[in-house]
Amino acid sequence: MKDELKIAWRNLWRNRRRTLITSASVFFAVFFAVIMRSYQLGSYDHMIINFIESFTGYIQVQHEKYQDNPLVDYAFEYNDSLVDAISKLDRVVSVTPHLESFTLASSGTQTKGVAVIAIDPEKEKEFSNPESKLVKYRITDEAISQIGAEDQLPEKIFAKLKQIRGRSYSSAARIALEMGFSDKETQQYMPGILHHTGFSNGYLTARDDGILVSERLAAYLKVAIGDSVILMGQGYHGSTATGLFPVRGIIKLPSPEMDNKLIIMTIPAAQRLFDTGDRITSLVVNLNSKSERTLKKTKVLINSLLSDENTTSKTWYELNPILYQQIQGDSQTGMAMLGILYFIIFFGIFGTVLMMVSERKREFGVLVSIGMQKTKLKRIVTIEMLLLGGIGLVSGLLASVPLILYFYYYPVVLKGDLDNTMEDYGWDAVMPTAWFGPYFYWQAVVVALMVVVATIYPLRKIGSLKEIEALRA
Amino acid sequence: MKVIELKNVNKIYNSSEVKVHAVNDVTLDFTEAEFAAIVGPSGSGKTTLLNMIGGLDQPTSGDIIIGGTNLSALRSSQLIDFRLHHIGFVFQSYNLIPVLTAKENVEFIMNLQKWPEKEKNERTLELLNAVGLGDRINSRPGKLSGGQQQRVAVARALASRPKFVLADEPTANLDSKSATTLLEIMEKLNHESKITFIFSTHDPRVVKMAHRVITLEDGKVISDDIKGMPA
Repeated sequence: MKDELKIAWRNLWRNRRRTLITSASVFFAVFFAVIMRSYQLGSYDHMIINFIESFTGYIQVQHEKYQDNPLVDYAFEYNDSLVDAISKLDRVVSVTPHLESFTLASSGTQTKGVAVIAIDPEKEKEFSNPESKLVKYRITDEAISQIGAEDQLPEKIFAKLKQIRGRSYSSAARIALEMGFSDKETQQYMPGILHHTGFSNGYLTARDDGILVSERLAAYLKVAIGDSVILMGQGYHGSTATGLFPVRGIIKLPSPEMDNKLIIMTIPAAQRLFDTGDRITSLVVNLNSKSERTLKKTKVLINSLLSDENTTSKTWYELNPILYQQIQGDSQTGMAMLGILYFIIFFGIFGTVLMMVSERKREFGVLVSIGMQKTKLKRIVTIEMLLLGGIGLVSGLLASVPLILYFYYYPVVLKGDLDNTMEDYGWDAVMPTAWFGPYFYWQAVVVALMVVVATIYPLRKIGSLKEIEALRA
Repeated sequence: MKVIELKNVNKIYNSSEVKVHAVNDVTLDFTEAEFAAIVGPSGSGKTTLLNMIGGLDQPTSGDIIIGGTNLSALRSSQLIDFRLHHIGFVFQSYNLIPVLTAKENVEFIMNLQKWPEKEKNERTLELLNAVGLGDRINSRPGKLSGGQQQRVAVARALASRPKFVLADEPTANLDSKSATTLLEIMEKLNHESKITFIFSTHDPRVVKMAHRVITLEDGKVISDDIKGMPA
């Protein structure tokens, strides 16, 4: 084997330029494939974390008709023993009750249709944790003026700050991210920015009768903490749902779509508003695995625990078919692009193989003539091909690692038109890469497959080699 | 002792228009330690005959028996193995493995035969010294002259102590001095190791040195002159 490896390695460098070109083509294919796929999967993960892990959860227990007709009429009674039983299932992280409905929200002359999500403020910390989304900093005109007057920010930094005028943030890290600060700049400029943009906010208590309003909705309704919002809608079985609710806090949601229309209140307050008694509309189950297999398995297990035959459990992709289809469609487009990329590269490799076989036919003939078994010769050629693909593969994967790591921790924040387009789709305009997973290792499988397919040709040629004809080549 | 027996060997090439009788009913024997040359004009069947003796080509009819083994009874992989252990080849255009050094080229056959490391090293150095290349063992073929490459090829052919060596026009690509040196080395090795050498050649120097000269014409043996006893 050592002998075969030595010959294969040296053969590879007989035509140094051709080997480098072929390896470079594999390198670029792997590099771009990994980066593209990482961005794609990273965006999906980001979307899922934003949306699924903050709103729908991976699985929901609800009335079987609720999804098609989301009325509080389809609220159901639940008890702690069901919650406990579901909580004990493998991979389940949290089980949180929700009472969700739609109402009109009104303040002064402003009125808007809104989504109301009623929660248990303490339990919800295990799931969407609205407390972490409370607005802590606001880049107001006043704050910018104060920063301009008191802090000596470089002109470039000050210009960037003006670009995010009017925005609210629930974390300092996000401001630093959108400002594109390095660690040094964060240390240098963030304290001053945070000092002037700080915003005091409040959360809900267990039996609070107040509400949390999403930041964009609050801006539309022109309400601030301490103001009141009137909610008007339809309650349980046609009753009228009306109430006046004080604003306890403003939350900033990463999904612009939700940030435009969400009101959060406590379950007891919502049960009084909608007159549902002790009923809720959904039990949100969060898992520590995104795999489809886990989802399906957990769904079956949850269904077996439900005693009310009108309730059922649904996975996040049943609950959000549009988002799921968007992800699937985009993923398949990405896969098709990768397929085309690899298809082109395959022919590059195959071209090298054709040339190699053509150039070395006589040599193959000599080797077999002097006593080398064809199987051994096939092994040498296979090793050669694997090395050829392997050089490009390993270097491509290694080159992609620092980029993936960097953009995982410092994701690209889209600006301008791209930002607007993403937000129009309801997505947060941030593009992180995905952490290393099967997509990364699969590149090795794809390249290995390409090499194996390309190697079939020389192996067949060696198999059917006639020594006398090869020696005349 | 007979090393090679050819019995009524024929080779007929059937092209679409004509039938070519490249080797026509040849019956020959070669004994141990012969230094024989097969001569004849181009197209007389010398190389075809040599290829069939080496198991690289199959006769249309007749038998080639080497050390009691009929080559036509062997399967392809057995034939390759047979060549590895019993036949050495020297080609007109050297055909060394370009990515291996002179030493590695000679060792190549012994590696295929899985010789122990120590014996392999000793044998390689012995052969390279014998062909006058003891100082070029780490040179790759591209760094050697044609004559030196052919001497490495001779060392490689002898590496596994074959029953005989087939040399197809070994001096054809060499200058006069290199050709003479090569032939002298081969004759010396033939004398010392008692290995049979069979050449196909046009070269009068080979004919002059050979102990036996077989002349072919139109695939037939027209003369078989033994000039002396095997070494």
